[in-house]
Amino acid sequence: MDHFPTNWGRPRNDAFDAYGTYPIAQHPRNAVDVFADGVQRTQQPIVTGTSVLAIKYKDGIMMAADNLASYGSLARFKDVQRLHPVGDYTVIGAGGDMSDFQYIQQMLEELVTEEFASQDGHTLGPVEIHEYMSHVMYARRSKINPLWNSLVIGGFKNGKSFLSYVDLLGTTYTASTIATGYGSMIAQPLLRKAVEGNETTLTEEEALKIIESSMRVLFYRDARSINKFQVATITEKGATISESRHLETSWSFAEGIRGYGSQTQ
Amino acid sequence: MFVTRSEYDRGVNTFSPEGRLFQVEYAIEAIKLGSTTVGVSTPHGVVLAIEKRVQSPLLESSSIEKIMEIDRHLGCAMSGLVADARTMIDHARVTAQNHAFTYDENIKVESVTQAVCDLALRFGESVHDEEAMMSRPFGVALLIAGIDEKGPQLYHTDPSGTFMRYDAKAIGSGSEAAQSELQDKWHSQMTLQEAQVLTLRVLKQVMEEKLDHHNVQVAQVTPEKGFEILNETQLKDVIETM
Amino acid sequence: MPAMLSTQPHGLPHPHMQTEQGPQQRQFNPYTENGGTILAIAGKDFSVIAGDTRQSEGYSIQTRYAPKVFRLTDRAVLAVNGFAADGNMFVKKVRQRLEWYRHAHAKDMPLRAIARLIQTMLYARRFFPYYVYNILGGIEEDGSGAVYSFDPVGSYEREACRAAGAAQSLVQPFLDNQIYFKNQTPAPGTSHPTHLPLPTVLKLVIDSFTGATERHIEVGDGLEIYVVLAKGASTQALEGIRGIQETTVTNDGERVFIIQRELKKD
Repeated sequence: MDHFPTNWGRPRNDAFDAYGTYPIAQHPRNAVDVFADGVQRTQQPIVTGTSVLAIKYKDGIMMAADNLASYGSLARFKDVQRLHPVGDYTVIGAGGDMSDFQYIQQMLEELVTEEFASQDGHTLGPVEIHEYMSHVMYARRSKINPLWNSLVIGGFKNGKSFLSYVDLLGTTYTASTIATGYGSMIAQPLLRKAVEGNETTLTEEEALKIIESSMRVLFYRDARSINKFQVATITEKGATISESRHLETSWSFAEGIRGYGSQTQ
Repeated sequence: MFVTRSEYDRGVNTFSPEGRLFQVEYAIEAIKLGSTTVGVSTPHGVVLAIEKRVQSPLLESSSIEKIMEIDRHLGCAMSGLVADARTMIDHARVTAQNHAFTYDENIKVESVTQAVCDLALRFGESVHDEEAMMSRPFGVALLIAGIDEKGPQLYHTDPSGTFMRYDAKAIGSGSEAAQSELQDKWHSQMTLQEAQVLTLRVLKQVMEEKLDHHNVQVAQVTPEKGFEILNETQLKDVIETM
Repeated sequence: MPAMLSTQPHGLPHPHMQTEQGPQQRQFNPYTENGGTILAIAGKDFSVIAGDTRQSEGYSIQTRYAPKVFRLTDRAVLAVNGFAADGNMFVKKVRQRLEWYRHAHAKDMPLRAIARLIQTMLYARRFFPYYVYNILGGIEEDGSGAVYSFDPVGSYEREACRAAGAAQSLVQPFLDNQIYFKNQTPAPGTSHPTHLPLPTVLKLVIDSFTGATERHIEVGDGLEIYVVLAKGASTQALEGIRGIQETTVTNDGERVFIIQRELKKD
C-alpha cells in the first residue's frame, strides 16, 4: 500500500503499461458527460489521516490510530478521532480522507439506529459491518466516485474475534494483523513478527506493548503522524476506546546524525 | 334481484363470494368452442394432432396454423382463440432462445411451459406507473410437446395459468369424448406410429366431417429429428394405416 | 522559477516537480492487481482446480489467506484471479445466478451452462470489465473432466489445462510440456497418453505452485487444491493424502474434495 493517500487509487507505477500491451491498461473514457462540470466527485483526498494498526490477541482485537488530520504537509487538526465504535461489538478505524470517513460514520450510525429500532432480535456484528462497508466502497468505486479511505474493521461477537480491511477500491481481506498507509510498510512487518502464530496466546499487556512500539516507530518515521493516539480493544466485554495518550520518545540520537542537527558541514 | 353470477362476472380481477373468478372460468369455457386438439406422449416422442375446421370450400386449408414450433425440441398445438396463442408462443420462443443464448443448452419443457403460464394472469387494471397489462385472460389452451433430459413430455396449459403434465390429453370442442377414448387406448409402451394413429382415430370420432389430409394436421417431436409437422405424404400414410 | 520550468525538456518533467501530469495520471483508477496464480487440469473423469492464497498489492502482502478458488456446485469449481474486489463480487453474482437457476429449473446448472453463463455475465460488462481471469473446472454431463478458461470480457474455450495470473508465464509452459507433451518425442512405437492419472496431476499441481512460489514474489503462503470426481470415479488416489477434506453436498453424484497445503511465506 502506498503511504501517500493522494496516490491511492491511481495507477501503480509498476502497473502502468506505457505501450498499451495489456488488455485494459486504463478504464475506458466513454462519451463526454455534458454535466461533468456540475458533478463533484472525490478526485483526491484533502484532509487526511495516516496509518491505522490492528492485531488479534487472546481476548479479541486491539487497534490504534493517531489523532492527526493533515492538510497536505500541514498538521491541520490535532484532536481528531479516527477510531469509531459501531454498535456494541465493532470498532472501525480509518485512514485517508477524513470528510469521507465522517460521512461513513454518519451512514453507519443511521444503519445501527435503524437496526435497533426494528427490534427484531438482530444486532449488527463486525462481520455484518464489514460486508456492508465492502458493498458501499465497491459500489462507490464502480460509480468512479470513491470514498477515499482505507478502513480497518475490528470486532468481537459470539465468542469470535474478527479483523478485516476495506478500501476505496472495494478490496477486502481478513488477517491477524492489519496496518494501513505508511504503517503497511513500517509497522506491518513488526506486527506480523510479533503476532503471527501467537494470536491465541498474546495477553492484552503484550498486545499493547506491540501496538505501542509500532506506534512509536511510526511516529519516528512517518512525517504525517503525531505522538497522540488512541487504542481500542474489542473483547467479550465490549468495545472500549482509550483517551488520547502519548509515548515517551527520545531524540537525543539526532544530535549525532550529520545533516539533521546543528552541524554546518 | 341479480343472479349472483352477473354481479361478479364483470371485473376481471374480482372474486365472487364463493371464491371464483368468473372471467377466467369463461375463458376456459371459450376453449370448449375451439377445434379439437390431441396430444399423445410415448417413450419415442410426442405426437400432436389438430382438427382444421374448413368452414368454406373457398378457404385455403393450409393457411390454418394451429401447430407451431417453439424451438427445435419444442412444439405446441392450440385450441381456442388462436390469435391469443400467438402472444404466448412468441413469448415461449423468446424465452427458449434466451435460455439457449445464456446457458448453451435446450430449455426444459416444464420451464418453457412455466414461462408461458407466467403470462396468463397478467390481466386486470394496470395501476398508476405500471406497465399496461392485458384487459382480459387469454382465451386459449395449449398442448406443449417437447423432449429434454427427462425424455418426451406433454404439458397442458389453460387460461388460469395452471399447467399439468399428461401422458395423453385432448382439448377443444370434442375433448370430453376424446379424453375418455385416450384413457382407454393409451398405454405406456406405444410406438410413435401407434401414437400417430391413435391421435387421428380420436379426432375422427369427434369430427363432423370425414377425416382426410386436408382437415387434420399432425406434428411430432422426436429425439432424432426434433419438432416436425408431418408432410402430405407422411400424413396420408398415417391416415391409410388408420 | 518560470524560466527554469520552460527549460525543462518537454514531456519529461523532473520527478520531484509534479507541475505537468498527464490527464490519465490524475483520474481515479478503479482497478488494481492483487497477484496470485490459479491453475486447472482436466482428467478423464476428474478435474483439479488450484490457487495460492496470498493477496498482495505492489510489494505488500495484504493477507496470507484469501481464497481464490470456490466450490460452486458438486460438479463445478471456479477459480478467479486478478482484481480481488471484482473477483469476489463476480463469484457472488455467479452464485446468485446458480441459485435462481436452481429455483427456476429444479436442477443444478450443468458445467457447460455455467461456462456460457460466465461468458454472458462477463460480456455484459464489456465496457467496464470485471478485471479477472476465470478458470472453471468440473465434470460435464457426459461424466468427463473439463476445464474452461476465460478472459476478462468473456472469450472462453474448453481446454485440458490452463494457468492464469501472476505466474501464468512460469506455469503454463511447464504444463504445456508435462500435459500436452510439447517438445517431447515419444519413444518409437509408443504415443503420449491423452489423459494423465490423478496422482500425476496432483504432483504436477503441487510442483507448479512450489516452483511459482520460488520464482514469483506474488505467489506463496498457502495452496488450495480442489478435486472434482465424476460420478462413480475411484477415490483411491485421494486416500491418505495429507490435509484433504470432502466438501460434497449431494449424495449420489460427483464428489468434491479440497486439499490445503502450506507454501513458502517469504
